[in-house]
Amino acid sequence: MDAAFYIASVVAIGATVLTITRTNAVHALLYLILSLLAVAVAFYTMGAPFIAALEVIIYAGAIMVLFIFIVMMLNLGERAAALERRWRTPGMWRGPAILAGLLLIEVAYLLLRAGNATGAAQAVEPKQVAMALFGPYLIGVELSSILLLAGMIGAYHLGMRKIEEMREEHGTHIDEGRVVASGDLVHAGADRADRAP
Amino acid sequence: MHRVEIAALLPITITTLTALAVMIGIAIKRSHTQAFIGTVVGLAIAFASVILAGGVPRQVTPLLMIDHYASIFMGLIIVSAAGSALLAYRYFELRDTQPEEFYLLLLLATVGAEILACSAHFASFFLGLEILSISLYAMIGYLKERRHPLEAAIKYLILAAASSAFLLFGMALVYADSGTMEFARITRAETDTWYPLMTTLGTTLIFTGVAFKLALVPFHLWTPDVYEGAPAPVTAFIATVSKAAVFAVLLRYYNSSAGEHAFFVILSVIAVASILVGNLLALRQTNVKRILAYSSISHLGYVLIALLAGRDTGNQAVVFYLIAYSMTILAAFATVTALSGAGRDADEIDDYGGLFWRRPLIGSIFTIALLSLAGMPATAGFIGKFYLIAAGAATEQWLLIFVLIVGSAIGLFYYLRIIEAMFSAAQPVAPVLRPISVAEGAVLVTLAVIVLWVGIYPQPILAVLARR
Repeated sequence: MDAAFYIASVVAIGATVLTITRTNAVHALLYLILSLLAVAVAFYTMGAPFIAALEVIIYAGAIMVLFIFIVMMLNLGERAAALERRWRTPGMWRGPAILAGLLLIEVAYLLLRAGNATGAAQAVEPKQVAMALFGPYLIGVELSSILLLAGMIGAYHLGMRKIEEMREEHGTHIDEGRVVASGDLVHAGADRADRAP
Repeated sequence: MHRVEIAALLPITITTLTALAVMIGIAIKRSHTQAFIGTVVGLAIAFASVILAGGVPRQVTPLLMIDHYASIFMGLIIVSAAGSALLAYRYFELRDTQPEEFYLLLLLATVGAEILACSAHFASFFLGLEILSISLYAMIGYLKERRHPLEAAIKYLILAAASSAFLLFGMALVYADSGTMEFARITRAETDTWYPLMTTLGTTLIFTGVAFKLALVPFHLWTPDVYEGAPAPVTAFIATVSKAAVFAVLLRYYNSSAGEHAFFVILSVIAVASILVGNLLALRQTNVKRILAYSSISHLGYVLIALLAGRDTGNQAVVFYLIAYSMTILAAFATVTALSGAGRDADEIDDYGGLFWRRPLIGSIFTIALLSLAGMPATAGFIGKFYLIAAGAATEQWLLIFVLIVGSAIGLFYYLRIIEAMFSAAQPVAPVLRPISVAEGAVLVTLAVIVLWVGIYPQPILAVLARR
C-alpha cells in the first residue's frame, strides 16, 4: 500500500515541478490540475477518501475552472485564436496524459482490490470530519471565514479601479466589442503587437 | 460552549464584530470619519473586555488558551492597533484613495494577532498568522497607485508565503512524529518517540517561519524595504502588533517544548547575529524608516536573550521589553506620520533637520522615543534592557549579555545621528511639514508620557506581569 502512496507523491512532485517550469500558462495549469489530482490520490491511499473527494471537487474542479476561465477571457480576438492553435502543438499532451494515466491505473487498482479500498488502518468518514470541525475545531472554522473575509477585502481594494480610468483606458476598444489583452496572465499580448514597436 | 468560555473570548469576538459593523457601515454609507470612529470605539471596548475577562487561565477548545500572558499580549496588541488607527486617519485623509477598507483590514489583522497571542495549537497558530499576513499584504500595498508600497507588498507577499510554507512543513513533521498539534502535549509525546530527529527538524522549520515574521537574521532581508515602502501607519502596525503577536506565540511554543536544549544554540546564534547585523547595517542609512527597520532587527535579537533565559524572570522580561519597545516604536512612527505630507513620507534624515527649533513638541517627543530605543535611563527602553540583562545574568549567559551591550553601544550612534540632525540649525526641506491633527497630537503626547512613566515608575506594570 505504501507503493501506491509513493507513486502518487512522485506524480504530485513531478507535476508541480513541471507547473513551475512551463512558460505557457495553459500548459502550466494542466500540470497544476494533475498535481492536485495526485495529491487527492495520496489522501485516498492514506485513508481519507472524503478529503480526497473534496480535493478533486474544490481544487481540481472549481478553482481550476476559474483559472482557466480567466485565462480564456483574457484572450479574445483573432490573434488569440492563432495563439491557441500554436498551443495545440502535437505532443504537448503526452506529458500530462502519461502522468494522469499512472494515477488512473493506481485508482483503478485500489478500487478493484477486494476488501478495504483505502488500505489504511481505518478510513476517515465524512461524519468524523464534520464532528471534528464543528466540535473541537469550531473556532478554526470561524477563523477560516475571517481569513477569507480579509482576503476578499484586500483583493477588492487592490483590484478596484475608478470607472473613469477604465473608460479612458479601454473606451475605444469596448466600443468595438473587444477587450484589450494587455497586462494579462498569458504572454498573449493580442493587440499589443499592432501598436508596440 | 460554556458561558465563561464565551466571556474569555470577548476581546476577539468584539474585535471581529467591530470589523463586521464597520463593513456594514461602509456598505450603507461611505464615510471615512464613521469608519474611523467605529474602529477606535470598537478597539476601546475590546480593550476594556480584556481587563474584565482576564482572570483565571482558561482553555477554550483545544485551539485557544486564554491565560494571563495572553491577556497582556491582547491588551498590548489592541492598544498598538488603536494607535495605528489614530495615526491613519489624517494620513489617508491627505491621500487620494478610498480609506475606509483600511480600517477593516486593520481590525481583521488585529483579530489574527489576538488569535496568535492565545493560540495553543498549530491550527490556531497558522490561521491567526495567515489572517494577520493576508491583511498586512493589502495594508502595505494600500496606496496602490504608488510604486514603493506596491513593491513592498509584493516582497512581503512572496517572502511571507514562503515562510508560511516552512512553518506548515515544520508543523506537519512535528505532527507526524508526536501525533498531536497541541503545544502542551507535544512535549509529553516526545519522551517515547521513535524519531526525535523529525520533531527537531520540524521545530527548526517552525522557528525558521517565525524568524521570518520577526525579521531575525538571516531571515531579515524583507524588513528595510517593507518598512520603507509601507505607509507610515502600516509600518507602525507591523513594528508593534505583528511583532508582539508572533513573539507571543513563540514564547508559548518555546516554553512548552523547553525541556530540550537542542534549540538553545541555534537561537543563541540567531540572537547574536540579529543584534550585530541589525545594528551594523543601520549605521550607514540615511532613511529614518530604514534605520528603524534595522534597529527593530536588533531589538528582537535582544528580546531573544530573555526568551532563552526562560523561567518566570525571563518571560516577564520578554513581555516587559515588548511593551516598552512597542510603545516607543509607536511613538517614533507617530512622529514620522505626523510630519509626512501628502506627497511622500517624511523619512529622510534631512527632513528632520532643525526639527527641534521649529516644532519643539514633536522634536522632543521624537528625542524621547529615540533615547528610549537607545536604552537611556529614565525611559522605558532602559528598564526593559535592565530586565533583559537581569534575566540573562540569572542564567549566566555572559556572551549574550556582552553582545547586547556592544549592540547597544553601536545603536547609540545612529539614534544620536537623528537627534543631532533635529537639534542642528540646518534649514530643512520644508514641503513635507504640515500641522498635526488632534488625534496625532493626542497619540504622540500619550505615548511620550507612557514611555517616560514606565521608565521612571515601572512598578505598576511589573506588578501586573508578576500576577499569575
